[in-house]
Formats: sequence, C-alpha cells, structure tokens
Amino acid sequence: MSGFPPTRAPVQPPVSPPPTITHVPQGAQSWLLGRREDARLVTGAGRYVGDLKVAGCLDAAFVRSRVAHGRLLAVDTGAAAEIDGVVGVWSAADMGDELPVVPSSTPGSADEERQRPALAVDRVRYVGEPVAVIVGIDRYVAEDGADAVRVDIDPLPVLVDPGQAAASSTWLFDGVDNVADEMEFGEPIDHEVWQRAAVVVEGAYRQPRLAPTPMEPRAILAVPELDGRVTVWVSHQAPHRLQKDLATALQLDVERIRVRVPDSGGAFGSKSGTFPEYLSVVRLALRLGRPVRWIEDRAETLSGATHGRGQNQRVRIAADEDGRMLALALEVDADVGGYPIAGFVAAETGLAAAGPYLTPKVHARVRTVVTNTTPTAPYRGAGRPEQVYAVERTVDLLARRLGMDPAELRRRNFIPPEAFPYEAPTGRRYDSGQYALALDKALELVDYGYWREEQRRRRRSDTVRALGIGLCSFAERSGLEQAPMAHEWASLDVTPDGRVVARVGTCSTGQSHETVFPELVAHTLGIPAQCVSLIEGDTDEVVQGIGTFGSRSMQAGGSALHQAALELIEVAKRRAVRMGCAEPDVGYADGTVSAGERSWTLGDLATASPEPLRVEGVYDNAAAFPFGTYVAVVEVDPELGNVRVLRLVAIDDCGVAVDPEIVEDQTIGAIVQGIGQALYEEMPYDNQGTPQADGLLGYLLPTIGELPPLTLDTTVTPNPNTALGAKGAGEAGCIGTPPAIVNAVIDALGQSVAGTDIGGVQLPLTPETCWRAAAGQEVGAR
Amino acid sequence: MTGRTPVRLTVNETDYDVTVEPRRLLADVLREDCNLTGTKLGCEHGVCGSCTVLVDGEGVRSCLMFAVQCAGRDIRTVEGLAADGRLHAFQQAISTEHGLQCGFCTAGFVMLVVGALEDDPSIAEDPERLDGLLSSNLCRCTGYEGIRRAVLRAYGRNGRHEKDGAEGH
Repeated sequence: MSGFPPTRAPVQPPVSPPPTITHVPQGAQSWLLGRREDARLVTGAGRYVGDLKVAGCLDAAFVRSRVAHGRLLAVDTGAAAEIDGVVGVWSAADMGDELPVVPSSTPGSADEERQRPALAVDRVRYVGEPVAVIVGIDRYVAEDGADAVRVDIDPLPVLVDPGQAAASSTWLFDGVDNVADEMEFGEPIDHEVWQRAAVVVEGAYRQPRLAPTPMEPRAILAVPELDGRVTVWVSHQAPHRLQKDLATALQLDVERIRVRVPDSGGAFGSKSGTFPEYLSVVRLALRLGRPVRWIEDRAETLSGATHGRGQNQRVRIAADEDGRMLALALEVDADVGGYPIAGFVAAETGLAAAGPYLTPKVHARVRTVVTNTTPTAPYRGAGRPEQVYAVERTVDLLARRLGMDPAELRRRNFIPPEAFPYEAPTGRRYDSGQYALALDKALELVDYGYWREEQRRRRRSDTVRALGIGLCSFAERSGLEQAPMAHEWASLDVTPDGRVVARVGTCSTGQSHETVFPELVAHTLGIPAQCVSLIEGDTDEVVQGIGTFGSRSMQAGGSALHQAALELIEVAKRRAVRMGCAEPDVGYADGTVSAGERSWTLGDLATASPEPLRVEGVYDNAAAFPFGTYVAVVEVDPELGNVRVLRLVAIDDCGVAVDPEIVEDQTIGAIVQGIGQALYEEMPYDNQGTPQADGLLGYLLPTIGELPPLTLDTTVTPNPNTALGAKGAGEAGCIGTPPAIVNAVIDALGQSVAGTDIGGVQLPLTPETCWRAAAGQEVGAR
Repeated sequence: MTGRTPVRLTVNETDYDVTVEPRRLLADVLREDCNLTGTKLGCEHGVCGSCTVLVDGEGVRSCLMFAVQCAGRDIRTVEGLAADGRLHAFQQAISTEHGLQCGFCTAGFVMLVVGALEDDPSIAEDPERLDGLLSSNLCRCTGYEGIRRAVLRAYGRNGRHEKDGAEGH
C-alpha cells in the first residue's frame, strides 16, 4: 500500500463468524423446508451485511450532490467535524492523492477517459453523486454530519436526454465528447432495400430508466484484520472482480483483500459494480484502522446507485408482401448517465438486434451518451429487454400494416430449428432453438382463437371494455460469449467421512444456489444431497470466479460443478486402481467405486492417501440462447385508462432445467418485474436533472394486488454445448413480459394508437398514458 | 433530539433494558441494541414493510416508531415465533411454498401475516382481503405467488391441498 498507514492499531477482535445456521429451532430440518437457505432466513437468523456485529465498528454516510451539473467550488466540512461522535469528514480535497478512482472496465474504453473518482473533485455530474463522506460512531451521528456539510456548486447547463446531450455544445467532461462510444453491428443496409421493399415500418420507443430496487440496498463492511489484511463483507454478485478492482483502486496487493458475500438481499444486476462509495469505505477503514460500514438507505439508492434501461430507440423493418422480413435496422441512443460505466449493456442491445428472426440484413448502430443523470448499469435482462421490446413492438406494427395475424407473421420469420447453429448478421452465433414450438404452445395455452373471437365480439359492442392480445417472441443470450467471462471455476473436495464440499465462482444473491448446486453434485455422484455442501462468495475459499449475472449461474457454474463431479468419479476410479485393484473393469455407482469383489466409498478413497481426493478446474461454457413466447390478454378501461391483465402465458425454454421448481421461482419473479416495467415503473427526471422519485411511494413496484393470473410452461431444447444441457434462467420473465403487455394494450386501443408509427404509446403504460391514447391525444411527448 | 433515555422493552417476552436517544427508531434499537437482527430495514420510510413487527399484537412498521414509544408494550419479532424447537406454521409454509428467495422481506411478511391471521384466520378464506393484507408489503424476488400459497397452506380451510389448486399451476 502506497500511503495511508493505519493511524491506530486495529481495536476489534477478528470479525464475527461467517453466516452459519445458528439459532435455528430443532424442528427446522432442511428436508421439511423448500430450500436449505430457508432454515435461517425464515427465523431471522440469516446474516446480511447490516446484521454483522463487529466491535468498534463505525458507520459512514455520504453527502450527495443535489445539483445535476455544476462546478464544485467548495465543500465546507467544518461544522460536521465538530459534531460529537463524528470521527472524520472527507471531501475529495481532504483525500488528496489518496482519493481512489473507479478502475476502468477495459483499457482504452469510454470510462478510462471519463474517470469516476470516489468523491466528486471539481465537477458534479448527477444528483446523487457522492461529494463527501462522514464517518461516525453510529449511523445517526454520521447522518447528522452529512446534514452539516455545506456544498457550494456553480450550476452548469443540464442535459437529461441522450439525443440532446449528443448534440449539445455543453460537455460533461472537458475536452471529451458526450458521445462516449459508437458501435455498429452488422453491415449498413443499402437504401435500395428500403425503397424496393413491399412494406417498410418504423417505430420509435423510449425505454424509461428503472430503479432495480432489491429489497436490501447496497451494503458494505470493511474490517482491517490483525494480520494487515482487510475483510470486505459486501452484498455483491461478483466478489472476485470487486477484490481486483479494490486492489487496483487502493493500490493494495490483491492477497491483502478478502471479499466475502454473506446473505444478500437481492441484486438483479445492480450489485455487480465497483461503486465509488465502496472505495471510500475500504480506504477509510484502512486509514482509521477500524471497521467501517455503510448501509445505504432507500432514498439514497434511488438516485445514488445505478439505474437500468434508459434508451431512445428507432427500429425500421422492411418486408415483402407475404410478411417475410428483408431488413431490420436498429438505432439506439443509450443514456449512460453521468459516468459511462456500463456501455456493454447497450452493446448487447445492438448485438442481439436480429432477435429470433431469419432476417437476412440486420444492422444496429448504438451510441452511448453521457447525461446529467444517475449512471446506468445492468438491471435484470441488461440490454436484452431493450432489444426485444424495440423489435417486438415493430413486428406488431408490421403485422398491422400487412393486415396479418401477429402470430402468423412471427412464425413465418423464425429461424427454423434445422438452421442452428445460426450465425446472425450482427455476428452472433445462436446455439439451438425451436421458436415455433414455443409460440404454438403459448397460443394453445392461452386459447388464442377464443380470445380473438372475444375481441371481435367486444369490438361489435360499445358497452364492454376493449380487449387486446399481445405477443412477444424472443431469443436471449445467457452466460457470456467472450473469454474469460465464458469460464467458471469449480472444485470438489471429498472429506474423510465421505462428504463433498463444492466450491464455485458464482455468487448467489437469492437464487437458491445453496440448495440447487449440492443437489446437482449429489445427483451426479449418486450420493444423498445432504452429503454435499457449498461454499461461494468468499475470495479466500474460492480461488477464482466470475460471479452471478446474465443468468449464468446454472449454465456456467452448475455446468462447471457437473463437469467437476464427472471428473471426480474418474479420479476416484484411478485412485482405486493405484490402491492395487487389478480388475480390468472399475465401476462407479452411488458414491462407491467397485471392482470385482472389492469396493471403496468416496470416504474410503479420501482416507486411503494423504493426498486430498479433490478436483479443481476452470470450465469453459459458451453463451447459450434461451427463448420463448409470452402472450398477454388485457382489457383497457377507456374512461380511466386502467389496464387489467386478464391472462399472461409464458412459455420459456432454458434447455434442461436442473431444478424446475427453482427455475419457476425465478421466472415468476422476473415476470412481476416485467409487469412493473410495463405498467408502473419509471424514474423520471425534470429538465433540471432532478429525479422525481425519492421513495417507494414515488417509484411504484408491483404488489400482490397487481399480479395477474399466470400460466407458465416450458419447451426443452438442450444446450448443445454442455453435458448438463442447461441454458440460463432468471431474466426471461422481464424480457418477454413488457412487449407482450404493451402489444396487447395497443391491440386493445386499436389502430388509432399506432398513429403514424412514430411517437406511439411509451412505457410505462400508466392510466394517464392509456387514457390519453384512448382519447386519441398525443401520447409520445413528455 | 439528544439525551439518552432508559427504556425497558419487552421483546418476545424477554426484557431488554436499553438507554437510547429518543430519536432512535424501534427497528434500529431492536437490531443494534437488542441484537435482534431478524427485523430488516428495506426502505426506512414506511412503504416496503420489511421491518414489520407486532406491538401489542398489531403489525407495525418499526421504522416508523420510536423505541421510546414502545416502553411497557408487548413487542414480537420474527425471532420469537418458533417455540419448543418447532417453526411457526407460517414459517414452515412460506418455505415449503417457495415464498422467499433472498429472504430480506421475509421477516416482515411473516410478522404481517402472523399478526393479522392470528387475530382473524378468516382472511385466508377471502381472496380480496388476503390480497389487501399482503399488498401492504413489498417483495422484489418471488412475485408473491408463493407467499399467498403459504398463507393458504398455513391458515386455509383446505390447508395442504391448496397448492394444487393455486392459479398458475
């Protein structure tokens, strides 16, 4: 470490023990429970970061900019420092040379030339940006300190829309354009293609900013240890990446940092980043030589963390008179907020532009643009919901223009099963799919014919609410295509008593890994599930790892454990041979190696040699392409603008579902987030860059009252690239749901809403939006 | 605001003598002073319901009450539900029915349901009242379906048979 030696010896005992099942009543045998995690979670014995007790722990609070854009003239910390119980107050100036900077994702990328310091230095770029940090003896005192800090900001012109920001002469970063990145996917489409096509449709869509809103906001606890290391307890999806970034930003040896993820209160993509607050907290814990924690509150996280989505989109499709799509062009201005930390989300939208369709010419142009708003970053789906929404609305537009049934139009254009592996024009290779199968199953389950007839009946009558049926067919990417993100590390250790300890580089934030991964390993080895335990989310215990995002846990982590288990069987057999087994045929079944008359359990083999019985490796798992079709049936009250979802049918194909019940849990949860996106959720900004919701009364999440009747089913098209056959699950629900609902509402409101194609209804479909649409008013402008 | 006040809180039939500033919220005192961290804080402004506890049998949001308001009152938290080594029926049911994933909202839902249904089990028989009750709290993981099934399993007339008849299955 370059500077900042501890100013005092650490005062605390080693950190409290890791989360274990403690204080759980005897009656809570895991076989009675739905999941292993539940014994502690239903009794209040779970350990989230905020529950960890460390003696002498201090609390941090942040002062945040209330101005969206301006020159930071002064930060007066004097009054705050005087408050009884405040241990210290730091602005960027107070940190001096020790101010950490968030490491850039890749060299030469947009975030390298637009650096994000842990605290704003001379410029603020969004409301919520950290300006100073206070450390106090408890959170009340730290917040008193935050209230007492005076910040002087000279306002600059504010840019809240990416299109406006791209064209503006006001630049957020001196000397660097507001367009952070421009990307193209596929070949540009010749003008003649559009001119000669029988029909061309075009739609423009706005993806509002969404607040991911896990029930637990961000949380971190940094504990300097007696041996000079620091343990960082954090609610996070990718502990190894965070460890590396902390080392880079704080100029520490990676080995000095241990990142541990205890129970986590949800993430949905929003806890995968290296946040500026985390750098400050770890820096100050080391500087003070005392444990420091930061527990974010809800008002703070709604503008101080990251948002998802946030794109302006334009889609153009050309087709022949039979509805065969000839060309698809997608243009995206992605609003990446004050710092371009996650341009890869918008890149995914472009790369995925073709969707499940066999369109010969596909071109996407994506710009990421900085604005004076909260930075955008992954939120469940991360680029795929945006792409699917833009294309599926435009496909419906094409169906209306052609007077064709939207289901038939989709069926006509699907990539057929025999075409896989399929190279999309944007340069992506799809693994496998049976898209028409999922569509047909969805139509059958919803009883498509019945609802079309009911729609005609209602259209003949003036007295009933308008009814609409909306479809969404999608193919999405799970896991990641590029090495090293396509890898995952796993190990299995056999203990002398024959138990197996599994370790893997994924990291659960509520996805039931503790239940599912041991089940998978046990099943593969043919031993009882209770003989297998799992360790995740600890950089000391897990040698390396990529983490949990992009629906990759089972596809990549599960597949790694599966391959490790198959290897373990071979290793066990070889050990039996080395022990003098001369039989030519060594068999393995149910945890026992056998040869002729002799047999050895895994435990026997583990004790037979001082050398551990273990396997370890990095396993390669290519991206996979789950898919499905969702159908929504809605009715719209034209007088009040209320949308009522009468049916939602979701057909998903995530390959082999290792634990179908857990997959269904994920699907329903994601669908309800998709319902939120379709009908309620938005983080709006005024033209001064002030976010218009600072609590959960302003930012509306679905409650149980908004839950429509759901029908879920699956088709199974195995992942051809792994023995396990699993593709990713967890995000499809919020990919398929919003376009299905929106297409259904437009179908209900009729042709008038489609208008000139441009500027139709935009998300979310609030009562006001639908009422205006039903009344024939302009609905695109805001 | 300042000045510390001694208060005796009775939580799960155990007395806790704490000295707290009057401004300290019940949730914070339960978690920090009584070491009962099962109660979670999800929004700190009374909307999400994760911090729901029972005070004199009524479900309240412990982020909207001061600890000093609760002196002499009967407080129940999730830690006090299991008895004689057995889980409460609803704790069991919410697990069996997959009514939790990350678990952060779970204590709030458990206390909400236990508080209301122990008082009036007929809520389980009335879908509208049940939705009204459960819509007091937010969950971002499960989509709520499992939580509803859990209420029916624990309190419904048909008990264990409810799952097969639930919507969507």
